[in-house]
Amino acid sequence: MASALQALRMGALGALAGWPVLVGRAIFYLVALAVLSALWGKVASERLAGALPLPAGGLALYVGATEWIMLSIPSIHLRLEDDIRSGALETHLLRPKLYLVLRIAESLGDMLVRLATLGLAALGLLALSGRSAPAEGLACLAASAILGGVIGLLLYTLVGLSGFWVRRTLPAYLVIQKLMFLLGGLFAPVSLYTSAAFRRLSEASPFAAQLYWPSVQLIAPSAAVFARALALQAAWIAVLSLAAAAIWRAGVRKLLRQGI
Amino acid sequence: MSAVITVQTLTKQYRYARRRTGALGAITGAFAPDFQTIEAVAGVSFEIAAGERVAIIGPNGAGKSTTLKMLSGVLEPSSGQARVFGLVPWRERRALAYRIGVVFGQRSQLWGELPARDSFALLRRIYDQDETAFAARLGRLVEQFGLGELLDQPVSRMSLGQRMRCEITASLLHGPDLLFLDEPTIGLDITAKAAIRDFITEHARGQGQTVVLTSHDTRDIELVCDRVIVINQGRIVVDQPTDQLRRQFLARKRVTLQSAAPRITLDLPGLTVLPSQPHTSVLDVDTRLVRVEQVIAAALAGGGIEDITIEDPPMEEVVREIYLATTGA
Amino acid sequence: MGGVLSTYPLQAAAAIRASLADRTNFLLQMGGMAVNNGFFLALWVLFFAGFRSVGGWGAADMALLLGLIMTIVGISGVAFGGYRDMAGTILSGEIDALLTQPKPVLGRLLSRDSLPSAWGDLVVGLVILVGFGRLSWVQAPLALGALACGLVVYLSAATAFASLAFWARGARSFARDLTDFLILFSSYPGSIFSGASKLVVYTLMPAGFIVLAPVRLLRAPGLGAAGVVVGAAVVYALITLAVFQLGLARYRRGLTPTSG
Repeated sequence: MASALQALRMGALGALAGWPVLVGRAIFYLVALAVLSALWGKVASERLAGALPLPAGGLALYVGATEWIMLSIPSIHLRLEDDIRSGALETHLLRPKLYLVLRIAESLGDMLVRLATLGLAALGLLALSGRSAPAEGLACLAASAILGGVIGLLLYTLVGLSGFWVRRTLPAYLVIQKLMFLLGGLFAPVSLYTSAAFRRLSEASPFAAQLYWPSVQLIAPSAAVFARALALQAAWIAVLSLAAAAIWRAGVRKLLRQGI
Repeated sequence: MSAVITVQTLTKQYRYARRRTGALGAITGAFAPDFQTIEAVAGVSFEIAAGERVAIIGPNGAGKSTTLKMLSGVLEPSSGQARVFGLVPWRERRALAYRIGVVFGQRSQLWGELPARDSFALLRRIYDQDETAFAARLGRLVEQFGLGELLDQPVSRMSLGQRMRCEITASLLHGPDLLFLDEPTIGLDITAKAAIRDFITEHARGQGQTVVLTSHDTRDIELVCDRVIVINQGRIVVDQPTDQLRRQFLARKRVTLQSAAPRITLDLPGLTVLPSQPHTSVLDVDTRLVRVEQVIAAALAGGGIEDITIEDPPMEEVVREIYLATTGA
Repeated sequence: MGGVLSTYPLQAAAAIRASLADRTNFLLQMGGMAVNNGFFLALWVLFFAGFRSVGGWGAADMALLLGLIMTIVGISGVAFGGYRDMAGTILSGEIDALLTQPKPVLGRLLSRDSLPSAWGDLVVGLVILVGFGRLSWVQAPLALGALACGLVVYLSAATAFASLAFWARGARSFARDLTDFLILFSSYPGSIFSGASKLVVYTLMPAGFIVLAPVRLLRAPGLGAAGVVVGAAVVYALITLAVFQLGLARYRRGLTPTSG
């Protein structure tokens, strides 16, 4: 546990040391937000016949929240791929602490710094834009965004672990990332999907637990939604952690049996 | 013989912003940079005649590459004049390009993933070469340089020495009258260096080509060039025929002996013992007075020798010695 | 000029052959990008299923815009791929060797690389243009002209960004980020931009001239619209040539902070 905390601290310090990258990420976040809120502002102002109803105040806040979580998740899959490919993993296996736990803790530290930086940038933009966000919604979002980020991190961990079996993790990464867009509701709440089956599938997916459920609390805050979000997130964190542990064990077995 | 290159009081100053440390420093530095000027080339003058093979040598940062870049038209000088084939290189860069070949030892002009042959074909078009003349020239170079099998291999799979042979071939394909080689033997092992040197010497002699090369390896000069320009801190310290320079300054070797005994004493002329750790003896050998074989034979005769290394004295030292000798200090 | 035209195709062809050297990597990158773009298209399909239109832009207009930008990015990456890391090439001092050769440096820089992923952009872009852009075959010449002009503006802007490297060492990632923003701005319906953001997309981030003006020309052909598209291409190309020459002159005075 102490070693995991130390790894988390290292990850956070590493992210802070690369401050120009953090600033660049914040700028990218703000520009993307400006474009997306312009899009949703336009859609909301039109209210065309036959169009889906949008929540009051448009989707700018929602998209701000999903992008916030999305851009805060570090590319742990690349670290895992590198370590598996280069054989660096074998030296780590000699150590008494569990490599995977330490790597995840390190990425978690990085993620918390990113969440804080981008969060501050978003609050600044919010103040400048003259919009307001419900205070209780912001508090709920902050709590479940961290859990959402953990889910994202675990999904990328699964992608990285695919490196035990395939040469490049890129294909798996692209698929997972697109599922985050589509089932996670990165650009619009999954509740807007017109097909009821597709909507239900999305809502129950880990991708929605990562992005949709935390973010929807900014546009429709309620105790019931918060409770549902937390329950879903806790369940998915448990499932994904178990999956990661199982895949890790299978991967290491393969590594020890056949080498890479 | 007519001069191919004339250089008069050529200078080049670089101005650069000194970096401040930390985030705050980076920000203040962006608005109020702290400029420093360094004089990379400080008023050099020389002439090089057609067919001459000249080495410009000096330690890192002495201004060798900067001089070469100005003569090949890449870089504009801060002041002074130069003419190459009567052209001002930095103003008539393209006209000059057809008449010179340039190799930068640390950069490649070949496509790594493609066979060298493909890069050569592209260079033919870049230099607007006629196909038959080009094919004949390539054929000659391939034969001289033993490139036959290499030609169809991707450059990225070649050894450094093989790649350098291809680089030099690439720079000769348009039949230039003047060849500039910037550190052509850098990073190569002894055999590869020898192959490059032999090729340059043979090729340049055969074609009557003028060659200007820079190096910090004293042996490049001895084998390839008739004349040496030693440059240090942007100034020419020596400009004389290689024979003369060799007799004066390049006649030294450094022999390091590892021995069971803490010290070895040899009674031979021309030896200077340099300070060193116990069990290691570093000898400066003046080869005009004693041959290296003699030194080693004498050492081995004494017994208890565990290892022997023979090296050239570091370039910095040679230059310092030349500098001291020429300034009379 | 004639010199450029005779050697450029050969150089670009060599770059493409080099990019094909690692077949697996090529297919993976190309396929990955195609899937990526396909997902992006799917998101917009869902969007228009729900909201019908944005400020007068319907699904077919959006398809036309996406088809144009993907095709432009595709052609750029395949035939002018050196543009992507031109700042890096400048900063590494690699243009010294090009300066000793008789052909113009800019052409050599653009043709020194070809990006495998760009084929994915190109293929999907063309499929979208032909399949969903709602263009008639009669419009093909006009569409090609509009595409060519947009391509010139895109490459000009990206080259101008890369030319910043002649002035500043940090320009490598900055130029890349600016180019990514340019693609981002070029991937949304033009109607969402107003006020300051509209000013930006018609000046510094010329998405307006890369895709918006060409879309307008194809939807409502006219001399005025054609004049804007062609004029923008000429103006941006001239500005970029001037900026590049200015930067190159600076480089040749030894003022560029290269690492070589």
